[in-house]
Amino acid sequence: MATSNNTIVKFEKVGIRYGTGPEVLRDINFDLAEASFSFLTGVSGAGKSSLLRLMYLATRPNRGLVTMFGKDVTTVTRNELPAIRRNIGVVFQDFRLLNHLNVFDNVALPLRVSGAPEDVVDKHVSELLTWVGLADHLKALPPTLSGGQKQRVAIARAVIARPRLLLADEPTGNVNDAIAVRLLYLFEELNRVGTTVVIATHNEALVDRFGHAQLHLDKGSITHRRVEPNS
Amino acid sequence: MGPRSDLPLSDNPAIRILPWIIALMVYLATLTLAGGLLVATMADEWSRSLTGALTVQVTPTKSESLAELDARVAQATRTLLKTPGVKSAHAIPLAEISAMLEPWLGPESNIADLPLPRLIAVTLDRELDREALAQRLQKTPGAEIDDHEYWRTHLVMFLRSLEIVAVIMVSLIGVTTATIVVFATRSGLAVHLEVIEVLHLIGAPDDYIASQFQRHAQRLGFIGGVAGGVFGVATLLGLSTLAGNLDGAALPSFQNWHWPVLAALPIASAYIAKWTARRIVIRALTSMV
Repeated sequence: MATSNNTIVKFEKVGIRYGTGPEVLRDINFDLAEASFSFLTGVSGAGKSSLLRLMYLATRPNRGLVTMFGKDVTTVTRNELPAIRRNIGVVFQDFRLLNHLNVFDNVALPLRVSGAPEDVVDKHVSELLTWVGLADHLKALPPTLSGGQKQRVAIARAVIARPRLLLADEPTGNVNDAIAVRLLYLFEELNRVGTTVVIATHNEALVDRFGHAQLHLDKGSITHRRVEPNS
Repeated sequence: MGPRSDLPLSDNPAIRILPWIIALMVYLATLTLAGGLLVATMADEWSRSLTGALTVQVTPTKSESLAELDARVAQATRTLLKTPGVKSAHAIPLAEISAMLEPWLGPESNIADLPLPRLIAVTLDRELDREALAQRLQKTPGAEIDDHEYWRTHLVMFLRSLEIVAVIMVSLIGVTTATIVVFATRSGLAVHLEVIEVLHLIGAPDDYIASQFQRHAQRLGFIGGVAGGVFGVATLLGLSTLAGNLDGAALPSFQNWHWPVLAALPIASAYIAKWTARRIVIRALTSMV
């Protein structure tokens, strides 16, 4: 499979198993072009979260080749991982906000980790939180927020450092349809400015409505792939 | 405002107890090190004072009168004063010998009637050839040299052994402190595993996470160290006052340079905590993805 210049994620014959159990992902082959928008679909247990974990480098495959931003991540050293991870923004299904930090500090984390000066952190975080409608909750701790507010904090944290790849695991799972559509518009907005977006969801109606590329997982294998109409 | 931390390290009970334990360790280390320093000072002082001195003993014979004995003592003293390397030599007066023996013989004793050897205290200004001096003193029958070599050697050896024991004890206290920091840090790692994983996934390098642990451990190590050090020094000052009340000239006292050495213990405890925490965290993070 040839890799074009603008391919930022490439999986070749990737398989993963946990412990001595059966493979939860088998012979996964796909690639994602820069600035593409894809849905990752499949029923619960199909392997969506495992595939995302491989993409955000929380785990390594047992076999196959995973190339991210032109680097084979199955062989990179630990010291190289942080720099690769800073190109990836993740919206976790359970948000994984740090409950002891307020909204501002949660969103500021990726910038601070990358060593951004505090004046830059202040400016960017305040702007982004205003944009997602949380300007009045800068000092609030996550446990005091509603599900939708936590969702927006998680998204803000994922995009604050302008990652090249945004991965979202069931981002619409905890919100009603109207908010789910608004969130999708937000992701499309980010995609328009050049971010590659991958959204794992089992909401087929939403996938059909937005009509982006689709990777469908069934029992650990990609069973069909729909390309974006304009690609 | 101190450096910001992304990890709620203060929430961990195992970490909260760390300054108390470190305070106790530094308290013990302060007392042990102070003891070692005093013993070292004592060994030096005794060694120095005994090296520059010797005693010549003139034993009386059965039929000898007091005047004859005095004449022999005077002869030995003159011989000593003519010997190169002898700074001073004087016969210890009977009154002084009487005062020394008073605890055993009582105040009413008349030691002039007793066949006691007479003593000549000699101070030296350089190393002396003991054999040559013994030959010179052969002119005075019954005169023998006691240069305190036996006592000096054994006493100093004993004091040096105490010094070594003190150093070993302070080292063991340091190792114990490091071990406690190891367990507290491991506990912190286990408690905050999820936060650490999130930090990793947003691109935090191991060093970023380790620096938060080490900074926290260093701060607690210093706080505990200062508390333990202050209590330790207070105890020493109290003991020092009590020793002063004993009017014992033989008891050693603290030198000016001892205090900075003792003050270094809280700093050492802070660094032990810092580097132990860093080492443990880096090792643990390396085993993660």
